Amino acid sequence: MSIDNAWEPKILVFACNWCTYAGADLAGLSRLQYPANIRILRVPCSGRVNPQFVVRAFLKGIDGVLVAGCHPGDCHYTTGNYFTRRRFLLMKRLLEYMGLEPERFQTRWISGSEGPKFQQVVTELVQDIKALGPNRKLRDA
Amino acid sequence: MKTIAKSRLNELLKALDKEYNILVPFKEESVSKFVPWQEGVDPYFEENTLLPPKDILFPQTEKMYGFKVKDKSVEIEELTQEKGQQIIFGLRSCDAYSIDCLDKVFLTKGYEDGFYRQKRENTLLWALACTKPQDSCFCESIGIDPREAVCADVQIYDLGEEWGFTARSAAGEELLQKLEGLFTDKDAEPLPVQGFSITVDMEGVPEKLANMFDHPLWEEVSRKCLGCAACTYLCPTCHCFDIAGSVKGGQGYKFRCWDSCMFSEYTRMAGGHNPRPSKKERVRNRFLHKLYYFVERYGQLLCTGCGRCLAKCPVNMDITAIIRKIKEAQQQ
Amino acid sequence: MNEISLQMREIARDLLSKNEVNLVLGWEKGSHWYKSAPLFINKVEDVDRLVFDEFCHNNLSKYLVDLAHHEAKVAIFVKGCDSRGINRLIQDNVIKREQVYVIGIPCRGLKDPDDAVGKKCGEPVKDAVKCQECRYPNPVVHDIMVGEQVNATARGQETAALIEKLEKMTQDERYNYWSRQFECCIRCYACRNVCPACSCRECIFDRAVPDWLGKANNLAENQFMHLTRAMHVAGRCIECGECERACPMNLPLMALNKKIIKDIEELFGENDAGIDPEKKPPLGHFELNDPEKFM
Repeated sequence: MSIDNAWEPKILVFACNWCTYAGADLAGLSRLQYPANIRILRVPCSGRVNPQFVVRAFLKGIDGVLVAGCHPGDCHYTTGNYFTRRRFLLMKRLLEYMGLEPERFQTRWISGSEGPKFQQVVTELVQDIKALGPNRKLRDA
Repeated sequence: MKTIAKSRLNELLKALDKEYNILVPFKEESVSKFVPWQEGVDPYFEENTLLPPKDILFPQTEKMYGFKVKDKSVEIEELTQEKGQQIIFGLRSCDAYSIDCLDKVFLTKGYEDGFYRQKRENTLLWALACTKPQDSCFCESIGIDPREAVCADVQIYDLGEEWGFTARSAAGEELLQKLEGLFTDKDAEPLPVQGFSITVDMEGVPEKLANMFDHPLWEEVSRKCLGCAACTYLCPTCHCFDIAGSVKGGQGYKFRCWDSCMFSEYTRMAGGHNPRPSKKERVRNRFLHKLYYFVERYGQLLCTGCGRCLAKCPVNMDITAIIRKIKEAQQQ
Repeated sequence: MNEISLQMREIARDLLSKNEVNLVLGWEKGSHWYKSAPLFINKVEDVDRLVFDEFCHNNLSKYLVDLAHHEAKVAIFVKGCDSRGINRLIQDNVIKREQVYVIGIPCRGLKDPDDAVGKKCGEPVKDAVKCQECRYPNPVVHDIMVGEQVNATARGQETAALIEKLEKMTQDERYNYWSRQFECCIRCYACRNVCPACSCRECIFDRAVPDWLGKANNLAENQFMHLTRAMHVAGRCIECGECERACPMNLPLMALNKKIIKDIEELFGENDAGIDPEKKPPLGHFELNDPEKFM
């Protein structure tokens, strides 16, 4: 099966409203270019992201998922991202145990002032997913 | 009787395979079910299959039709895959009886289910006579003969070193004639059926149940039920289904899939009201359906005595024990 | 084992006749010699049906979820693993400790009923897989104990060996293994219904709005269901193994749950669910210095 050279990955980014989304905004304001493959889903806090959101994303045809939030200690809701940290550390291992490529699910801390970091993370992620190809696992018929 | 050595079964299957899709019982690890036969598949006849053959005629998930929005109208597309001729080879009397029940549900009383009919019309049943009832079997108590299956086209007998075949319908007769060359004609006595470890007296049970809707016994027997769907999905006669759609943008398809009356939201309605709110109502409904409602509507029990439910229920809900309780119950 | 059954009956008789409880949860013999089933007793006459033998698999603590609003105290017989379920439900605020009178039975391990099918009573039967790696044979919470305490002995390590085997495989091999397993799932939800950690008032899979999961049976939906359930009980699984035992298709669910427990121990330290009712479940709290390996 040959991969169409025109294939572009679809990446879903869960961005926490107070830090990552602001960081993405800043990247835009600063005219920093990053690939248009990402779809941003704004959540109040990265701790809002349930494990099933990630699995459902893969089910519905997403090739890569990024969950991004405030740095530990900087959460707008004080403790939300500490739960994120535990939850997704575990989930990443579970997804790998299921046979999913580890690069497809990533988590990062991106703060509101880190526009360049947002650009860098997204660019690297898109490159990684492009190298892996379209996701066929956990995929709906 | 037409006989063939057991070691030559593959030849028979190969000959049938030319015109028919053959489904044979097969065991992989600990799960046995009906699978399409091909060279290399070694059928498993030691025990009845865990999964009944009902999903051959009534699949667990079945696409019905597709639709696409085109300008201001909708295009409908038939999605059911037409099944070619098939043979269910080696099903037991209990499962053959279940197909008889499903025929009554899907093909009689004024409405014919097209999806079921298309498959059923093209299916022949080669039923296998049992010799050794399993621990959980009680078909005899239901009135089913383990050696003679209803609605079989061909009846298969275990003769020890050989298989014996007798036609039971015109279609079966025709097919056996076609394969004349493979068989040896002889008089043979099938192996006898060994004893059942479970027996239950069904006499008068449906009639008694007609007046037991409000009986306190249902509260008692339903307490340990977990409300999962293991019994209904393994039951050869259970046939409840749900219809749903899958839509992506302007197109999608409607499908039907098995549902279970044991799920808490099975009777939940759009307003939130649920006429079977607790386990008691749902357990009562299940047993009344099997032992009374179906008898009232179609004249036969909906339980085949295959015993899969009581073998696999995580809490050992036992239909035979419940029948005994019904028999002993004081009329209220 | 017989001695324990007699003691069980005496205790139940005593509790019911003194009206200290109005319901006793225990086990009785089922349809075959290798099946023991849950028993609900509210009349003293029924106590003689109580037994404890090597087929008393059912984790009765699950029923406490339904009995959370029972009008009186409930007595419940528990083995080591089951008692962790009681602590689990107390932690989840589903029940209060005062609502239950816990009668603990130290357990020497149970037998596998699937291996006993077709055998006669007295023939040797294999140990249940879920009991092989038991670390808590003695009830961790009880008002009264029946029988002598037991030392935890490893009887085998089928599940641990399977997990190790899977960890050594390549990604694609692992994916193929789990896909083959999940293709067999019939979505009966026996695993969820038998699990004491699954105590949500309305389960995500029962909701029509939002429609997370329908009833269609295909590989993708089966994977979604099992992955989601594994994450939802992560850190709260008490390792009773009932999910795997209840599964009619014999899916290796404990290879999933125990792997998560292994990861939790490795990442966050010793965290056995249901041992200490005061302790919060691993995913329900955090440490400031939790690992951040990939952030």
